[in-house]
Amino acid sequence: MRAGLGIGWMAASTALQQSLNAKPPALNQHEANTLASRNPHFPARAKAVIHIFANGGPSHIDTFDPKPKLEEYAGREIPGALKTERRTGAALPSPFQFQQYGESGLPVSELFPSVARHADRLLVVRSMHADVPNHEPSLLLMNCGDGRLVRPSTGAWVTYGLGTENQNLPGFVAMCPGGYPISGTANWRSAFLPGVFQGTYIDTKKKKGDELVECIRHPVLDEKVQREQFDLMAALDRKHLQQRKTDAALESRITSMELAWRMQFEAGEAFDVTKEPKHILERYGDTPHGRQLLIARRLVERGVRYVQVWHGAGQPWDSHQEIEKNHRKLAGEADKPIGALLDDLVGLGLLDSTLVLWGGEFGRTPTVELPNDAGTKTATGRDHNHHGFTVWMAGGGVKGGVAYGATDEFGFKAVENPVHVHDLQATMLHLLGLDHKKLTYRHSGRDFRLTDVHGRVLTDWLA
Amino acid sequence: MLAGSAFAVGTKVSFQDEERFFETKVRPLLVNNCYECHSEDIAEAGLRLDSRQSVLKGSDTGAVVELGDIQKSKIITVIKASGELAMPPDGKLTAGEIKILEEWVARGLPWSGVGSKETPISNGSDSIPERIASTKKNHWSFQPIRRHELPVLPEDLPVHLREKWSSNRIDRFLAGTMLKQGIQPAEEASPHALIRRLSYDLTGLPPSVDDVEAFVANPSEPAYRAYAERLLDSTQHAEHWARHWLDLARYADTIGYAFGGQSNKSPFAWTYRDWVVKAFHDDVPYNRFVTLQVAADRITPEVPRKDLAALGFLTVGRTFRGNIHDIIDDRIDLVTRGLMGLSVACARCHDHKYEPIGIDDYYALHGIFASTETPEELPIIGEPPQTEEASEFAEKMAELAMNLADHERAIYDRAIREAVAHAPDYLIEVARPSEKKDGRLPQMQDGYEMRPIILGRLERLLRNKSDTHPILGPWVHLSNVPDDVFSSDADKILKQCVESVPNLNTCVEQELISAKPHSISDLAAVYGRLIAKVALDENDEAKSLIQQSEDLHSLWLVFGKAGTPFVVLENEWKSVSKRSERDEHSKRKRRVLAHQADARGGPPRAMVLVDKSKPTESFVFLRGSPGRQGEKIDRRVPHILGGEFVDKRTSGRLDLAEMIVDPKNPLTARIFVNWVWTHHFGQGLIATPGDIGLRGEPPSHPELLDDLASRFVNDGKWSVRCLHREIIFSQAWRQASTAKQDTVASDPENMYYSRSRRRRLSWESWRDSLLMAAGTLQLNEGGGPGMDPLDPRNGARRTLYSWVDRQDVPGVLRAFDIANPDTTVHVRSTTLVPQQGLVMLNSPLVIDAAKKVADRLSDESNTQARIEQLWKIVFARSPQRDEIRMVQAWIEKSEDLSSDDFGVWPQLAQALMSTAEFQYVD
Repeated sequence: MRAGLGIGWMAASTALQQSLNAKPPALNQHEANTLASRNPHFPARAKAVIHIFANGGPSHIDTFDPKPKLEEYAGREIPGALKTERRTGAALPSPFQFQQYGESGLPVSELFPSVARHADRLLVVRSMHADVPNHEPSLLLMNCGDGRLVRPSTGAWVTYGLGTENQNLPGFVAMCPGGYPISGTANWRSAFLPGVFQGTYIDTKKKKGDELVECIRHPVLDEKVQREQFDLMAALDRKHLQQRKTDAALESRITSMELAWRMQFEAGEAFDVTKEPKHILERYGDTPHGRQLLIARRLVERGVRYVQVWHGAGQPWDSHQEIEKNHRKLAGEADKPIGALLDDLVGLGLLDSTLVLWGGEFGRTPTVELPNDAGTKTATGRDHNHHGFTVWMAGGGVKGGVAYGATDEFGFKAVENPVHVHDLQATMLHLLGLDHKKLTYRHSGRDFRLTDVHGRVLTDWLA
Repeated sequence: MLAGSAFAVGTKVSFQDEERFFETKVRPLLVNNCYECHSEDIAEAGLRLDSRQSVLKGSDTGAVVELGDIQKSKIITVIKASGELAMPPDGKLTAGEIKILEEWVARGLPWSGVGSKETPISNGSDSIPERIASTKKNHWSFQPIRRHELPVLPEDLPVHLREKWSSNRIDRFLAGTMLKQGIQPAEEASPHALIRRLSYDLTGLPPSVDDVEAFVANPSEPAYRAYAERLLDSTQHAEHWARHWLDLARYADTIGYAFGGQSNKSPFAWTYRDWVVKAFHDDVPYNRFVTLQVAADRITPEVPRKDLAALGFLTVGRTFRGNIHDIIDDRIDLVTRGLMGLSVACARCHDHKYEPIGIDDYYALHGIFASTETPEELPIIGEPPQTEEASEFAEKMAELAMNLADHERAIYDRAIREAVAHAPDYLIEVARPSEKKDGRLPQMQDGYEMRPIILGRLERLLRNKSDTHPILGPWVHLSNVPDDVFSSDADKILKQCVESVPNLNTCVEQELISAKPHSISDLAAVYGRLIAKVALDENDEAKSLIQQSEDLHSLWLVFGKAGTPFVVLENEWKSVSKRSERDEHSKRKRRVLAHQADARGGPPRAMVLVDKSKPTESFVFLRGSPGRQGEKIDRRVPHILGGEFVDKRTSGRLDLAEMIVDPKNPLTARIFVNWVWTHHFGQGLIATPGDIGLRGEPPSHPELLDDLASRFVNDGKWSVRCLHREIIFSQAWRQASTAKQDTVASDPENMYYSRSRRRRLSWESWRDSLLMAAGTLQLNEGGGPGMDPLDPRNGARRTLYSWVDRQDVPGVLRAFDIANPDTTVHVRSTTLVPQQGLVMLNSPLVIDAAKKVADRLSDESNTQARIEQLWKIVFARSPQRDEIRMVQAWIEKSEDLSSDDFGVWPQLAQALMSTAEFQYVD
């Protein structure tokens, strides 16, 4: 409960709060707000999630999973190379230097110096694996738990399960500068869950708060005039209700309109980073990445449940060629603001209750991608690799300074403590106080859940 | 170590001992080590170890237990890791634990409690035939639909109630249960509320002021009925109910996600939408309505072409990036759950856990849809508009088609030339296959990549060929000679070879003798030249030479004719094309399709599917995975619905459709009647309108439901119009939505229909109402390609005619709970979020409408007169006195603050259109 909410609302909200009690939340149309905050199944470690999506597939070998063995095999075929989307050839050692950081000595490549400052807070999972080496299904698997079928996204499941804490802001926000990632809005869809649980898309290429959120301001009326208009409408609504004696739905609607009124100001303000002090803005940088990670921090501060931050439209991290140049550029855009975000979350005391997740839909091959038949490409990049890749987490109740699991000596395949995407999802829900087997929704004759019939909670990760 | 003999089978042990043994030793061991993968949730390899019966049933590959025989029980060899397979995967059981399981098997799998025969687990371990039998016998929805006796109304019923509640059968049934509970129905709604409800319910639009005033002045039964009939006859009624149906049909105008920036449009989905409108308008009987949508192309006598558009029902779904099994799954769900309330799609991976549906039932239906395909060119079902645009369209179309054909020809010619040039490489590849990486064919020095189609044909051509074949004989003979032998003794070997082929083709002979090959590559070069002679018949001269020489002609038959290894058929061009060519080709193809879809002036087409020339039978996919085929399943309807096989010669869609609408099918009429009922009352007789299987809710008024369904089929001859009439003429439907206070206490959820249910307008009705008030909506602006409903320039068309992109449903529409276009939706969910309020407060849609409403007010300066006029436009009623006062006071206050752009009157109009009164129907 934060700024702008009066006592009346506090009471209403408490009355509305319903416990999940290991049951799926009952969606009641008489509720003033389907997104009202709900209790988890068991005490939560994390209250909010910021998922920084390095879409396109960042190379684990060049970032958080050093493989010195590749030097030895440079230019030669490695034993046991696996099939990926395209043809790959000899081993391609990482062109980037790794260094150990913090007390934990966690190695991070030169691409992420600012993230590395927080090495002791990172849980680096080096043994992730997915199902196929293609973007679309892997994105959907990572986000929605299934590569093909129309299933709700993790953010939708979480807001369905927990509601959100600030009723003046959307509960689930997906930000991406300049357009959609591959697979588009499917990445944050609600599918068969009610539409209100779908992520609200924000194009962070735009700068002004007002331009970012749909219908957030009246194009003509100023606040004072609009309030007069609003009061008249509210008076007519109350009269209408009075003539109908009691009707919970009509009462709830009056409350909901009042929420909408407040949302106009709070949402516009939350998305407007221009009023942040200059030194803060500088730490994040005046770029789409800087702005959207700063917005992410502001949203979580204000009680938004689930924030997804995409690197860019399409699949920017998909470095099939010139990985040195491309990854350097991409990491250069992302590293500083991610570091600043972690600084701020620590400084504000929010990191303990905010789970930050960084990663892509898969990683990249330790072998070089071979040029295609047209001969237009040179061999300087890496192909997709779903057999083994890395994600890292920070805060939200996970251990820090830990590298969990491992890929083989070349970084091709997860071999030690392999973690499937469903395991990651099950554990994320667990951190939020939700049992992934009990967070279900009845649709089409059966109870669905994010992890379908899979997923293990990795208790080793818990701090 | 094998201790089988230690536990002799048949040893008498007391039941209590067995129970204790199982509960204390065996069950904990199974739970801790096996259930993560082998229980209800996952059943890896089809094996469940959570009931005795499922252990006995075994896995996908067969039995795992031989009762009493440890050595023959796979479960034991697996946990001992003595064979290939070792379980559990993350660590071996201890010797003690293994011993327990050995004893368990040896004792004959004693089991107690949950999972035993007496206590089956979660209804999931009974066999499907057992479940079918018990469902047919016991579950309400599978009992034949029959008419019921009307309940007798109590003697002491007040006269006015008796009069009103005894003539309509619906009322008799409802009043029967209601009065038994001591609950009294509500009074009839006020004439104003009633006519507004009737108009929204039947047409999705507000009544006109004139109609309201006429009815309020004379709210007689004949007037009510006459107004209802007028609405039922209107196109607007058909449009409104078509929208309900489109929810069920998971209608959208796009296929979902399209690769690489390709268009994802289904450009002719709208012909299906318009067909539904027309069908409701013509009151096509429901059985015919369904049959057309499932099998319009199979009906005899042939249906008018325009009715082919009905097949859009099956085809307007998502295409799952081309995954045919997902497309079929979507269609199975649509026809079974959508039309019959039976969730068959759950049986894709295993027998349904709860319903009487086996995995074989699923694949029997799968085969029906797998036997269909979408034609490349959709059939034209109407005339193009008679405009200049039409001839421009045709001209451009011809040009684009030519452009495409030219490109195909060019690819084909290039591919043949290159293939022939590399013929020697192919020949050598057949004789001395190279090592392949990832199954990919080798790439040549010049970058040429071998084509599987060519290599495959060449392999087949050479396979088992005799070394005396007049053309191929020398190749067969010589390519088998080891390289070193060949090179050291070439002349002699060649001579032997030529002599040993009795009818050696002279062209071959001449080439061999003049080239004198010393190695397999020389030999391949010889054949390469021979192939080039007949495969590249580029000019007429070459062609006639081939015709004249018998030997050349025989050579041509082997290597030159279309369909031979190097000369693929013209329509196989794709398989020999390069990626860059295919990219260019799809670019050109997209231009054709985009022109068909987007250019004005083209003829409308139906989104049909057709039967394949040869139907395919499907195999069970174990665990739903196409890579793991089980038994073959003949196409048929589900066993629970009779299990009849469908026509062997066609896909069987027509039989499927006829089964669905067979009057003896207990599901279809119940689901449909309930669907119509739910949209009239805002609550269903069955609370789960898409599920009347074992897991669905039983009906609140089973006798009424059956009575309605039975009469719908038998008396009404499936006429939807008759069903509407019966409902809207009932007293129950006409009740006020405000209940008496004591009724709210005794019927809080309105289970007994003791009042009407107040309802929020759907997104479509709400937008249409805004546009009606704005005066922009044109009721005769029918169908055709969809428009963007949020663009104020489209204010003339009803919201039904929106372009729906299932991949990108606008946030505003989602906020107002439009149906998810990816799944069959019987009733939309209703949520309340502040985003809805934001739309009312700030959206261009509302603001634009408000300005237009204000523009409609007369210039009269009298404020009160304008207020009255405004009230009529927005609410179709006069303002009450206190409302006038309230607004007058507001105007005085606001005028000073007001801007020219959006003055008090537009502000007022917006405020009124944002009220609950505008958005809710009493």
